[in-house]
Amino acid sequence: MGEHGHHTILGFDRYAFNFWVLMIFTAIEVVAVALTFSMKGTVSMNTVVFILVAVGIVKGVGIAAIFMHLQGDPDSRVLTATALFPVFFIVVMVLFIGLTHPDAADTLPAWCRPGYYN
Amino acid sequence: MSYGGHDDHHHDHQHSHWGPHDWDHGHGGAPHNSWAPIMIAFGSSLFLLGFTKVFTQTWDDEADLWTYAIHSSQIGLLIAGLAIFSAGITVFWRQDWSHSGSFEPKAVGTPFRTIDIRKVAIWMFLMSEMMVFSSLFSTYIRYRTGFDNCVSLFESSIEPGSTVVLEAGQQCWLPASYFIAEGGYHQANAHAALGFMPDTLIPGAINTFALIVSSYTIVLALKTAKDTTLSDAERNSKVGKYLSITLFLATLFLTFKLIEWFVGFEIGDKGDWYHFYAPSLSADHFTIHESEYTYCHLYDEAAHACTPGNEAIFDIRMSASTFYVTTGTHGVHVFGGMVALAYMVLKAFRGGYTPQNAVSIEYFGLYWHFVDLVWVLVFPAFYLY
Repeated sequence: MGEHGHHTILGFDRYAFNFWVLMIFTAIEVVAVALTFSMKGTVSMNTVVFILVAVGIVKGVGIAAIFMHLQGDPDSRVLTATALFPVFFIVVMVLFIGLTHPDAADTLPAWCRPGYYN
Repeated sequence: MSYGGHDDHHHDHQHSHWGPHDWDHGHGGAPHNSWAPIMIAFGSSLFLLGFTKVFTQTWDDEADLWTYAIHSSQIGLLIAGLAIFSAGITVFWRQDWSHSGSFEPKAVGTPFRTIDIRKVAIWMFLMSEMMVFSSLFSTYIRYRTGFDNCVSLFESSIEPGSTVVLEAGQQCWLPASYFIAEGGYHQANAHAALGFMPDTLIPGAINTFALIVSSYTIVLALKTAKDTTLSDAERNSKVGKYLSITLFLATLFLTFKLIEWFVGFEIGDKGDWYHFYAPSLSADHFTIHESEYTYCHLYDEAAHACTPGNEAIFDIRMSASTFYVTTGTHGVHVFGGMVALAYMVLKAFRGGYTPQNAVSIEYFGLYWHFVDLVWVLVFPAFYLY
């Protein structure tokens, strides 16, 4: 959404192009899941997850790169780096908190568990 | 008020942090600081702190259950936070309303040199927002991968030779998609007459499309505001309409969310070809209090009851809490966007956005696209999978 956003993609206005790509990919994910449940057992859950992740990545990149103008502006690079800065912390959080066992907190010393106020 | 003017900044300003025209143009280009961001941030912090003091949950050993309480004596903190937040919004409103776009301060420090300082600020804000939602997603991943899935747990318990013993109230993960994407197929009348499309998925799917369309309309509003070929009246009208459509779609989003959570809907009667039934999540007992959810593995449509031997009682509070906190936090962001949009619609119809003064739409757009981006992750994680 910047000053230099008047480019085209495949001859179409880039915003309109991105909009229709997002609409189509959203339709794909909704229909994929609806079909999965209507044909229970015929499509594996791993396939569904793969479709959802792939579609999510495409949609996320489309919104960030074109609508949020992290691509194509003079300041895109530094702003992309800014946007990606928290990714390090997110990776740490997901790997070391998100993927630990829910009961992991129970093995922590009492002083760093919830409810320890003394 | 000064809309569209470019040369008045040398004459028409007050040296006030609080009121209109405090954009300083007489000290080497450096603007006065605004109190609005720090007031809004401080007010929000106090409000949230007060919120946790007022609404509490404690474990009652004797009754062997969680009790929920509202401590009205602590409400002062909550009100003080709200008051400071509102004052910050008022300061912002007064400054923004009179801002003509004639002076947009630039960042001077590396690495943001020459970038509009407000643009840098909105990106900093979005970084903090990323951390908020990342913490919610890491919570989701942790519990999703850590708990047994209720359906799998039940299925493994009925397999020959299985060693799983189900206990009443056993904690397991019953994903929201069980109620949403499958339309609560285990519930009476839950199958729609729409063929393959599960009932309760409809509001979430409509919401997803609504947010994408609203992301596009905000882009169109910005493009139109920058269009120098339009007359002022034409531009004001078009920008106002695009922003109004965005506001309408945001309202639609929250309305469907509330319907999905609390109301549900039914169109036609059972047996009609157009019969459409989508029970609310609360009616489906998908709530943060549901420590003893009656899970039905095989529903007998004819008998309107669970097939004998196919029931189990599970504790599903963790999956429900994760769902409501994450989608609720996202909903609060949508609501915040609606408040901002209502203001922007008013400003647009009064000629507040011109080719020289359109960046406010751009900065709001960044926030709005971020809200859309979060939904891109929330929708498949909670609604589809």
